Amino acid sequence: MLMARVQGSVIATRKHPSFEGWRLLICQPLSASGEPEGSPQVALDPHGAGLHQRVIISSDGAATRLAVGDPKSPARWLVVGIVDEPEGGGRLAS
Amino acid sequence: MRLGTVIGRVTLSQSIPALKGGRWLLISPFTTDHFQRRHDPPAGLSRDPSLVAYDALGGSAGDTVGFVEGREAAMPFQGPTPVDAITVALVDDVFYVP
Repeated sequence: MLMARVQGSVIATRKHPSFEGWRLLICQPLSASGEPEGSPQVALDPHGAGLHQRVIISSDGAATRLAVGDPKSPARWLVVGIVDEPEGGGRLAS
Repeated sequence: MRLGTVIGRVTLSQSIPALKGGRWLLISPFTTDHFQRRHDPPAGLSRDPSLVAYDALGGSAGDTVGFVEGREAAMPFQGPTPVDAITVALVDDVFYVP
């Protein structure tokens, strides 16, 4: 699992049927110090995470297949939780 | 999944039976730079290595696609298939606010 920050979303009409109806969030993985680290991943979001919120994303395909309800889905990354933020949301320090 | 630009197609004259009839795309993955400069993308290939992905959607050169890497890429196939990257979305639009 990775800590990541939500930086946007992706719109795709033509996609694998198991992705139908899911929000696709652009999640920038963060290092221990909170800096962006590596390339953004696009994750399915069942929780309704907001822009610039920190989330935990998991690469467990088995859990994602269960979430989308399709045992043959190629989906991999899933937003598994939204990190608690101080009231007002937004970025912490910076 | 990650996003990337389709930079070419790959055709195979010989392949193992499980992959016969497949369509293959050469993809240059997006880095953070590509998201930040979406309408003025960095020239040339991405800093991340390009890859070949199985394509069942019909992507073509210049398209932005979403692709999944890893074991999950083989899930849509009947039986064990040696595929570790597959396109899963033809991207229409990207909404990005860093």
